[in-house]
Amino acid sequence: MEYEDKAGRPSKPPSPKQNVRKNLDFEPLSTTALILEDRPANLPAKPAEEAQKHRQQYEEMVVQAKKRELKEAQRRKKQLEERCRVEESIGNAVLTWNNEILPNWETMWCSRKVRDLWWQGIPPSVRGKVWSLAIGNELNITHELFDICLARAKERWRSLSTGGSEVENEDAGFSAADREASLELIKLDISRTFPNLCIFQQGGPYHDMLHSILGAYTCYRPDVGYVQGMSFIAAVLILNLDTADAFIAFSNLLNKPCQMAFFRVDHGLMLTYFAAFEVFFEENLPKLFAHFKKNNLTPDIYLIDWIFTLYSKSLPLDLACRIWDVFCRDGEEFLFRTALGILKLFEDILTKMDFIHMAQFLTRLPEDLPAEELFASIATIQMQSRNKKWAQVLTALQKDSREMEKGSPSLRH
Amino acid sequence: MAQAHRTPQPRAAPSQPRAFKLVLLGSGSVGKSSLALRYVKNDFKNILPTVGCAFFTKVVDVGTASLKLEIWDTAGQEKYHSVCHLYFRGANAALLVYDITRKDSFLKAQQWLKDLEKELHPEEVLVMLVGNKTDLSEEREVTFQEGKEFAESQKLLFMETSAKLNYQVSEVFSAVAQELLQRDDREGQAPQGDAAVALNEGPARQAKCCAH
Repeated sequence: MEYEDKAGRPSKPPSPKQNVRKNLDFEPLSTTALILEDRPANLPAKPAEEAQKHRQQYEEMVVQAKKRELKEAQRRKKQLEERCRVEESIGNAVLTWNNEILPNWETMWCSRKVRDLWWQGIPPSVRGKVWSLAIGNELNITHELFDICLARAKERWRSLSTGGSEVENEDAGFSAADREASLELIKLDISRTFPNLCIFQQGGPYHDMLHSILGAYTCYRPDVGYVQGMSFIAAVLILNLDTADAFIAFSNLLNKPCQMAFFRVDHGLMLTYFAAFEVFFEENLPKLFAHFKKNNLTPDIYLIDWIFTLYSKSLPLDLACRIWDVFCRDGEEFLFRTALGILKLFEDILTKMDFIHMAQFLTRLPEDLPAEELFASIATIQMQSRNKKWAQVLTALQKDSREMEKGSPSLRH
Repeated sequence: MAQAHRTPQPRAAPSQPRAFKLVLLGSGSVGKSSLALRYVKNDFKNILPTVGCAFFTKVVDVGTASLKLEIWDTAGQEKYHSVCHLYFRGANAALLVYDITRKDSFLKAQQWLKDLEKELHPEEVLVMLVGNKTDLSEEREVTFQEGKEFAESQKLLFMETSAKLNYQVSEVFSAVAQELLQRDDREGQAPQGDAAVALNEGPARQAKCCAH
């Protein structure tokens, strides 16, 4: 819910601490509504026996109501305490991140203590900073470079809207029509990016930022261009970073081997990733793996969406950010580990389904997917297969597929 | 990747209606997901762009028979083109969707047809051309006549729809379902082994409990 503040909505609930002080919440209040009244004077009075019975029944009702209310009050109190506890631990975590970890990043980031804290989720206020550091800036992108790319993007938008077709010829191979289509698509997709948050749409506070980052990226990497799914990644970054830093993180994130393979839609390499995933799938969840095989449910069916958008479209946003936390630290391997965690979490349900229902389920995960359960499930996934780690399995498969390609080019696809 | 779900599909139990795979193809943002959502859930809303593929199912009654449509709703962006190829393999029907306010999307639909024909025999897959967004007819770039003529020249079914206004959406799917059943009966051979037997038993199959 941390995004609501940024969106400028005034819906912030009163701080729980205030509530505790008032303490009114925990007093049973509504029993006063239960009042036993005598029979109206114009009616004959109740016989004493009946009146006695009614009084007794009334008292029982009051006792029951009080009991219920007390129980409810206790439940609320517990809930509030839990919330306070969570807020306090977030508050403490913020202090630790700000005062201890961030100033000593290089030496501390891979320590046991930091890893544990990291797994529990990075507090929203330091999240952007930590992501930036963890993603790094291998590409050495400066704020100036972002400005240059953005200026070029803006030029293109202008020439597009004035109908000017004499676009410079320097990006040979990427036709003007292609580029035009992708600029159009960016516009269309921005309005469809987290529509429920109402902040990226035309007129919303983050619309221009999202437009800028995606536009600048198509100028920075015309060879990759805009690919659907990118708008979600950029949006998640914007929610946590300033525009230029979001652009730097965005470009570096997409430059990682797995993301490059997917966003270039490098078919062969995508297949290799899926094959590597299946190795760990079979290792961790052999029964479910067999069930998927029997039903011809291949990983592309669900993984394409999950990997392209880094779960930001398929999981609740808060939870997706927590996946990103560890993904920034552990790299692509964690994306596939998460996938296995999800499959494991729903193993029992999935084993009872046929192909189309599994496909439906996995491409539209339950909206109330519980974060703690998912992370507990992910934690049990072993990313080791016959003593080989993810990267080793992937490299071996890549080598195989390259050799196969050489041997019989017709098998490609 | 996505295996062809063509030949015997073991996943439907004999007591269930025959399943047909229908794939939605077309440019980005022409309304593929909206058509599916309108048809399956009678809903219209701001839909997130489809990445990869989304899935829907619906059981359709055609006269006394019924069939199950498994709808594969593909991503529209050009870049995903090669991925979509995986999805239309094994399809029994395809809806080529375009946006009547975007000429390019109409041309793209024609391109999809060529791609389909490269991989599937025309007898194998039933194709319908669908011009969506009739609610925006002031901005129309493709006339009804153009759509119809192209469809006729290629022997495709054709309809114009509005997912937004719920205009002719269920008609599209019903027409496809009806044609699928007719073709199937003509061939006297269902796309799935045991399901075909079930059909020949007529309505009685509903009462039989032999799921597993």
